[in-house]
Amino acid sequence: MNPIRSISSILLIAAWSSASAETMRFEDAAGILGASCVKEIDANCRGVSLDPGRLKDCLLRNQDSLSAQCKTDYVRAFDAIQKRVAARSAVVKICERDAVKLCGGPQKQGGQTLECILTATRGVSARCNQAIGEAGYR
Amino acid sequence: MRLGKKSRRGIGSFIVLLIGFMAPLSSAQAQANATPEDWVNKLVGLETAPDLEVAALRQQALERVKSKADGVPLQRPPVAMQLLKLPRLAVEIQFDEDSSVIRPESYRTLGRIADTLYDPALLPYKFLIVGRTAATGKREFNLTLSQRRADAIRGALVTTFKISPKRLQGIGLGEEQLLDAAHPTAPINQRFELATVGKAL
Repeated sequence: MNPIRSISSILLIAAWSSASAETMRFEDAAGILGASCVKEIDANCRGVSLDPGRLKDCLLRNQDSLSAQCKTDYVRAFDAIQKRVAARSAVVKICERDAVKLCGGPQKQGGQTLECILTATRGVSARCNQAIGEAGYR
Repeated sequence: MRLGKKSRRGIGSFIVLLIGFMAPLSSAQAQANATPEDWVNKLVGLETAPDLEVAALRQQALERVKSKADGVPLQRPPVAMQLLKLPRLAVEIQFDEDSSVIRPESYRTLGRIADTLYDPALLPYKFLIVGRTAATGKREFNLTLSQRRADAIRGALVTTFKISPKRLQGIGLGEEQLLDAAHPTAPINQRFELATVGKAL
């Protein structure tokens, strides 16, 4: 990993950690994994595709051969992806009451509920707002 | 598809074409410069779900290859004309040579596809990932490889980013759906499509 990428990766992780509670975009999390561990994946996990089970296990099994950068970043990247997934799936449930109040009930499809709540200028509960923020929808 | 050496041709470089409504196809570079919002905008706008049977389409492509019909790539019509009318967007994905293993260099792109599919405007929709290749090597091999690669993209989106498997289907069309039919061996033909195909109920 070249120095510029290392610095960018550190800054991105620092910004993400210090920002409210917004979870990291999938693009950034997966990008960190790919950029930090390309050599290690080629050397130790050839034939293993991006997969939170198999690829993570492979990197874990080969801890001793990983660069310090990869060792740190693969854990953070998979963790960030998992947190984003959890935050996104939590929004609809947490905002269910808001959906009833502001949108006439939870819609059949999550996207419709979300779009309705995201366009509401007033009346969204603090808890729902927080969930939206954590999921990165605002 | 039998690709050349890594040093000459790069690794198995593919393009995912996220289909945008009647949008002209742009280069991989233009796609790389596009913002996440651009991706979403190119995928919205499906008004009527197409009459699309994936199993039938797969069979249609297989039969054409086995019968050796339309043998000359330069005169080969797309096997699935209906896909051309759907919302789409092109994105490059790299694979190991002759393999369905996605290169780490393309993880970021996969992540962006996931971000796109989670956008509230696209959450109600389902998509078809269509694998394609350039007209180099054997047609049947290309058909099989493109299917495996489409399945690999789907697999990563489902397992890593938890996109609902009900929203994604994969199909490989090999070299039966050339993007640049005037240049059948051009790398731009090594691509996938991800088409907005209807509402995910």
